[in-house]
Amino acid sequence: MAHDGPHIVPKSVLLRVFGGLIVLTILTVAVAYVPLGPLGVPVAIGIAAVKASLVVLFFMHLKYDNPVNALTFTIGTIFVIVFVAITLLDTAFRGDLGNVNQRTVQEIQAEQERAEQRNEALPADSLRIAPADYPDQERGASMSTEGGS
Amino acid sequence: MATETAPAPTETDGAHDHPAHLEHHFVSSKQQFDSAKLGMWVFLITEVLLFSGMFVAYAVFRQWNPEVFVAASNTLDQMWGTINTVVLLTSSLTVALSIHYIKQDKVKQCVYYLLSTLGLAGVFMVIKYIEYTAKFEHGIYPGAAFDPHGAHYEHLAGMAAAPQFFSIYFVMTGIHGLHVVIGMLVIGAIAFMAWRGSFSSEWYTPVELTGLYWHLVDIVWIFLFPLLYLI
Repeated sequence: MAHDGPHIVPKSVLLRVFGGLIVLTILTVAVAYVPLGPLGVPVAIGIAAVKASLVVLFFMHLKYDNPVNALTFTIGTIFVIVFVAITLLDTAFRGDLGNVNQRTVQEIQAEQERAEQRNEALPADSLRIAPADYPDQERGASMSTEGGS
Repeated sequence: MATETAPAPTETDGAHDHPAHLEHHFVSSKQQFDSAKLGMWVFLITEVLLFSGMFVAYAVFRQWNPEVFVAASNTLDQMWGTINTVVLLTSSLTVALSIHYIKQDKVKQCVYYLLSTLGLAGVFMVIKYIEYTAKFEHGIYPGAAFDPHGAHYEHLAGMAAAPQFFSIYFVMTGIHGLHVVIGMLVIGAIAFMAWRGSFSSEWYTPVELTGLYWHLVDIVWIFLFPLLYLI
């Protein structure tokens, strides 16, 4: 900044940037009518990113500013990308790995706790039946032999 | 910043002979201006992160329910969305022009362009009001009140994720609209101060910072528009 006074973005630059923004707006609306399949979302976000860059660089003066402002903005933008990407890495691929249980650890633990509580209320051992448990084994056997004769 | 070796003091230096706007703890007007602007950028990043939480919600639910999001998105009025995009882009241009002129001490043009920005922001909010009432008339509300009826909306009733799209739509555009309203109040105050002659090419920090805030509101809409209305 050798010269006196603040840096002034020329009016012609502002108007050209505005023209570019309007053209890109028309482009993004037009592209929405073209069947792009899976490319539709990346193309729309790409056009929006170009528009945002134009606003940041020229309207917000970042191109001519103290670089520390650009650094601040860039770091913030990286955090946004990390935020979106890492979250989607979780939500987009849940249950994709065959050997991974779809239930959460808490759900599995709750299930095991419920099983243990059931076992305490009615232990499995109390349900075990041995031949000695039949009350009238003698009579039952004799009845069957009687029926057979 | 404090350890930065400042350039040789300029003409307005001196402990007892400094411009009225220059606080004592700054070396020069330029350092004071740069500090204010860096602070504003840090604030703007916190705003970006506030909105990014909602963009993540949008991304997750869209990835889970792509067909529902396309069907629900198609019920939004693309014409109003496009007009509002142009309105906000124009308001960004006018606020940039107001800064362009205050840097040249052209106070009258600065006030004119600030008031133009205010007017365009008002147009944006009126269009948002028209869009919201059109949705409310057909039972398109955020959250549990969601009860679509009418020819263009009935098919949404059978879609489990449709209320999620409209909750995200209303929260994102609502918080964005809140920022527009706050911006209108600030721009109105700044225009009044400019009209009173508070700013000049020597000191126009509030105009510059208000402009930065307004451009950020524009940038958020630049992303909201295609995500909600187009794809």
